[in-house]
Amino acid sequence: MNDGRHHVQSMLMRESLLDRNVEKSTETPVFKMLPEAHVIKIGGRSVMDAGRAVVYPVVEALTSCLKTKKLIIGTGGGVRSRHVLSIGIDLGLPTGVLAQLALADSLGNAHILGALLSPYGVVAIPPEMFGHLLPLFITSVPGVIFNGDPPYSLWEHPPHMGRIPPHRSDAGSFLLAECFGCKSLTLVKDVDGLFDRDPRIAPDANLIREIDTDELKRRNLESLPFERVLLDLLENARQLKSFQIVNGRHPDRIVAALEGEHVGTIVHSNPRHPG
Amino acid sequence: MQSDLLTELGNSLLTGSLNDERLMTQTSGPAAVQILPEANVIKIGGQSIIDRGRVAVFPLIEELVENLGRHKMIIGTGAGTRARHAYSVGLDLGLPTGVLSVLGTFVSMQNARMLNYLLAKHGIPFIEPAQFAQLPHYLAERGAVIFFGMPPYIYWHGNPAVGRLPPNRTDTGSYLVSEVFGARSMIFVKDERGLYTADPKKDRAAKFIPKITVAELKELDLQDVVVERSVLDLMQNATHQRSLQVINGLERGNLTKALNGEHVGTIISAD
Repeated sequence: MNDGRHHVQSMLMRESLLDRNVEKSTETPVFKMLPEAHVIKIGGRSVMDAGRAVVYPVVEALTSCLKTKKLIIGTGGGVRSRHVLSIGIDLGLPTGVLAQLALADSLGNAHILGALLSPYGVVAIPPEMFGHLLPLFITSVPGVIFNGDPPYSLWEHPPHMGRIPPHRSDAGSFLLAECFGCKSLTLVKDVDGLFDRDPRIAPDANLIREIDTDELKRRNLESLPFERVLLDLLENARQLKSFQIVNGRHPDRIVAALEGEHVGTIVHSNPRHPG
Repeated sequence: MQSDLLTELGNSLLTGSLNDERLMTQTSGPAAVQILPEANVIKIGGQSIIDRGRVAVFPLIEELVENLGRHKMIIGTGAGTRARHAYSVGLDLGLPTGVLSVLGTFVSMQNARMLNYLLAKHGIPFIEPAQFAQLPHYLAERGAVIFFGMPPYIYWHGNPAVGRLPPNRTDTGSYLVSEVFGARSMIFVKDERGLYTADPKKDRAAKFIPKITVAELKELDLQDVVVERSVLDLMQNATHQRSLQVINGLERGNLTKALNGEHVGTIISAD
């Protein structure tokens, strides 16, 4: 039938990709690109900004893991990111611009970490090429460092409330681990895990060792030690079924987590998708 | 008062958690600036327009040229049938959604390049995301720029809840450009009058909907919609771009009318 449009023969030709039946028909199994690699995100404010006494032991823990494991190491933006966000908000700049500005700070932290891991050939890869060349790099060296923030930039989603970009370095690390079908995702922060209240404000807050996304959404905690958008990302994930938050002030837990041990809080998804 | 807010908010941001809901409610801050308030973002459909070839594209090119000098235009391109082919191949091979998004990007880039050459004699550039810092200069000097509609998420493109197609495609990328720049309008140029209750290509009884809010549209729970669902969700959270218009680009004159602020298709609004 000639509808005036020049088509290429395919399963999806002519279709509206917004038709619900068409959408459903696209649920196919997913190929794991880097199933042996671990993604580990090093907190900006919680680790990189905390000084030599915190950073050096974390670097040491990473170097010991690099002997036996492939690590894809993301970094957060930290206090500089927060500062540029606060200036940006005051200037009235929109969310997409704030996201673009914040990229520089997590990239800076990636370079700081890269400098310290240089003796092992583990360096910060420029974002423009990182996604495309990751499998090549991780085959050549035991680890690579990347800007934890995803490349959303001006195309970041306006959040439901306020103006802070919702997809930051936790989200970027998650999305990378999910796309590449990596073995695990570990978020290194400065708290033992998820608590029912912010432990820095409420000393009697209770540690939640393990929880699923449905339960976590139901509980609607006011404060989370990771980006709230991770709950949605985890719900929709086809490859990554959980992530663990560990305390980088106890660097032995980084090593343990990468060995598959439960030393912090594990958040996992509820079974919804195949795979 | 403003500097107090900066100090207080700044302090909160510096010491607090960006994942604290109470803190986030404070971050709307002073009124948002519109970066390019005179700009119109126009998205030219891939499958709906460009895949039709000369018969659809040439008249639109002429109409775009007619509007140069009168309206500032940031022109995004859809992908179309080659993307459907790439997605089909990718899905069959089990490629992750993020990889599919890379494939879709290449197709919308091809379409952007083609329009670029057809508009080249008017000095209108095609720019990639990395060149968006130059966009204001080109817009001021030449009156229009072309970009590819796919947002640059590539491997970081999130999964949809249903299926595995990248959910934020060329409508979404174009829309977000209009939002971040605080543009004057967001016009989707497709091959139907606008939104219908069903796909009018498949269902003759489909009814045209001239105007609707996102909430009303969600209530209708339509099997198919004329613009990516992601756009509707984003629009509800938008600071600037809280409405859009879908028009039939196969009808000469519709684009000009839409640029002039007239209602010729379907207007979908957040409120």
